Amino acid sequence: MTELPPAAEWPSVRGLLAELPDDALPRAGRFLARLDPAEVLAAHPATPVVSLYVTGHGTLAALRPALAVELARHGLLAGVALADFDAWVRDLADPASELYTTLGKAGGPAFALAVLDPGIVAAELPPPWRADDAARVLDAKVTLIEKLAATFAATARGATLVLNTLPLPRELTAQLLDRRERAALGAAWREANARLLRLDRPEVAVVDLDPLLAEGIRARDPRQSVYAKAHLTDDLLAAYAREVGHLARQAAGLAKKVLVLDLDETVWGGVLGEAGPEGIEVAEGYRGEAFTRFQRVVRQLGSQGVLVAAVSKNDPEPVAGVLRDHPGMTLRDGDFVQVRANWRPKHDNLAELAADLNLAVDSFVFADDSPFERGLVRRELPGVAVVDLTAEPALHVAALLRDGWFDVPRLTSEDRARPARYREEDARRGFLEGFDSLDGYLAELGTEVRLAPADPAQLDRVSQITLRTNQFNLTTRRLSPAEVRDLADDPDARVLAIASADRFGEHGLVGAVLLRRDGAVLRVENFLLSCRVFARGIEQAVLGAVLEHARASAAREVRAAYRRTAKNGRVAGFYPEAGFATVHADEAGAEFRHDLTRPPEPVPHIRLSADFGGRHP
Amino acid sequence: MISVEEYVALLRDELALPVTEDDLGRSLDTVDAWDSVHLLTLCTLLERRTGRPVPFARVLEAPSLVAVYELATTS
Repeated sequence: MTELPPAAEWPSVRGLLAELPDDALPRAGRFLARLDPAEVLAAHPATPVVSLYVTGHGTLAALRPALAVELARHGLLAGVALADFDAWVRDLADPASELYTTLGKAGGPAFALAVLDPGIVAAELPPPWRADDAARVLDAKVTLIEKLAATFAATARGATLVLNTLPLPRELTAQLLDRRERAALGAAWREANARLLRLDRPEVAVVDLDPLLAEGIRARDPRQSVYAKAHLTDDLLAAYAREVGHLARQAAGLAKKVLVLDLDETVWGGVLGEAGPEGIEVAEGYRGEAFTRFQRVVRQLGSQGVLVAAVSKNDPEPVAGVLRDHPGMTLRDGDFVQVRANWRPKHDNLAELAADLNLAVDSFVFADDSPFERGLVRRELPGVAVVDLTAEPALHVAALLRDGWFDVPRLTSEDRARPARYREEDARRGFLEGFDSLDGYLAELGTEVRLAPADPAQLDRVSQITLRTNQFNLTTRRLSPAEVRDLADDPDARVLAIASADRFGEHGLVGAVLLRRDGAVLRVENFLLSCRVFARGIEQAVLGAVLEHARASAAREVRAAYRRTAKNGRVAGFYPEAGFATVHADEAGAEFRHDLTRPPEPVPHIRLSADFGGRHP
Repeated sequence: MISVEEYVALLRDELALPVTEDDLGRSLDTVDAWDSVHLLTLCTLLERRTGRPVPFARVLEAPSLVAVYELATTS
């Protein structure tokens, strides 16, 4: 990117950036920072915007281009507001500050970035100073930050405060001549950082700068620090902005769920079709060890809920043989939700895999060493995130982990069980093929559904469902864990969790219904269901129970809304099909009402137990 | 070393500033799209390009882009 892209061409920016090497991104960021977000939105009103209020101790203007480019890499438009110099304490402490008014006006995900640097400590050391003095200042600073985080949590509902650990400059440690004193400073400094990292609030994210510095990024340039009060280098701020980009992507509901791997030169070295199972490089030899290391990391991701699949240009039998019998393999067939070894284009395989898993291809990450295959997938399926693997397998792990594709705010037990559930789904598909009709299948499936107020331990999972569910999501209103907690505490609202099971096993918590009582009207604020289980009657049975509950609790009518997105078109007819009348409808969505004169259609093959948790709502 | 033409190209392509050679002598606050933070980035870019240190403190006081160029190219 060597010129300012016109606002009208925003949709092509993400693809352009995907082709750029890291060292070309700062330049692209400086161009993107000059784009007026209002103009982009005028040309493309559906562009997701993330609001970022940047405050801190030093000069942080370099974050504007860095955030612009890192968010654009995920298709997100950064709305950046830069606070006055060194205003972070005032910004966070005063509920009427510019920070809170700006975040309060944000339409989508909103973040306050309080960028901390070692200067907040160094500036308060008395002359002369000892390790004790530094420990005291550090303790006071972290205590202050903890208080500010509490104010933030109480004031900026739904927004996220991003803090960071403090790099420890040698210019400080080396000023202490006594070896024990110097070590004491190092220990106190790490303790302060550890306290920051332990700030366990759903509204707070702490970016740990240590792993970024360990990659060889310079933390500070004394000249920039002394003359321009820029206490962190542009390079470090760029790496920090990348981490913020990952947080923004999660908050915008763009989580990735599936990792699709090529096999030859990705999972093992060499070409199976030419070298044969004995000739591939895995477990042994320099390259073989590098591939094994990569396989272990893939397994590690799989253990945390990432669905792993393989798409390889190979004959199916030798691939199955290697996954089953090769003594050096770490990954086995049971680690994959599907293995597609054939000679058809990879983008066709990805599209079919998405259909089988009932997921959008946009939730896929595709890793391949072949530039040809990557280019083709990028062109045919622009929503897929493509990981550029090279001919150097020792770099595969770094490439895979570079963009935190699968990061989540909180991992739930559902996440860990997900791969097994999808494998059960394969078994269900086999079972389905034995029936003439879907009804016969559903009757034999023995689906049980439990609808009940979400208990406190389930609220994170409910938030996650609002963030990750795109298809069966009637309003696509994303809710942070804190917002779900607020709803659960609201006496006029109710957060109901949908759990289900069938003869193949537990599905766990698969959906949520958000209700609000407004006088004689019961409002369904949102209805969400995991794509794993819809179209089996669960949604009709649950909505029927809500209607029954409305009637039994003397509601006059039930109201519900549908808000259209690019992904939820298939549920546009959900309410009308259940007997709701349309109050009004336009391109953006529709409002419905059910007058409760006719009972809902029964769903005979579902055994449902419903508990609405007392009289209200 | 870096020629004046290369310097203008760096300002346009790397710093994303819509300037020409005619703008170099203008007072910085009248340069289109100029922001004081550009000076910091410009120092870094010039050091990377020329392989020699730029006198930061003096650059921060420079009145124009041509003054920055002179500081970066004369020892």
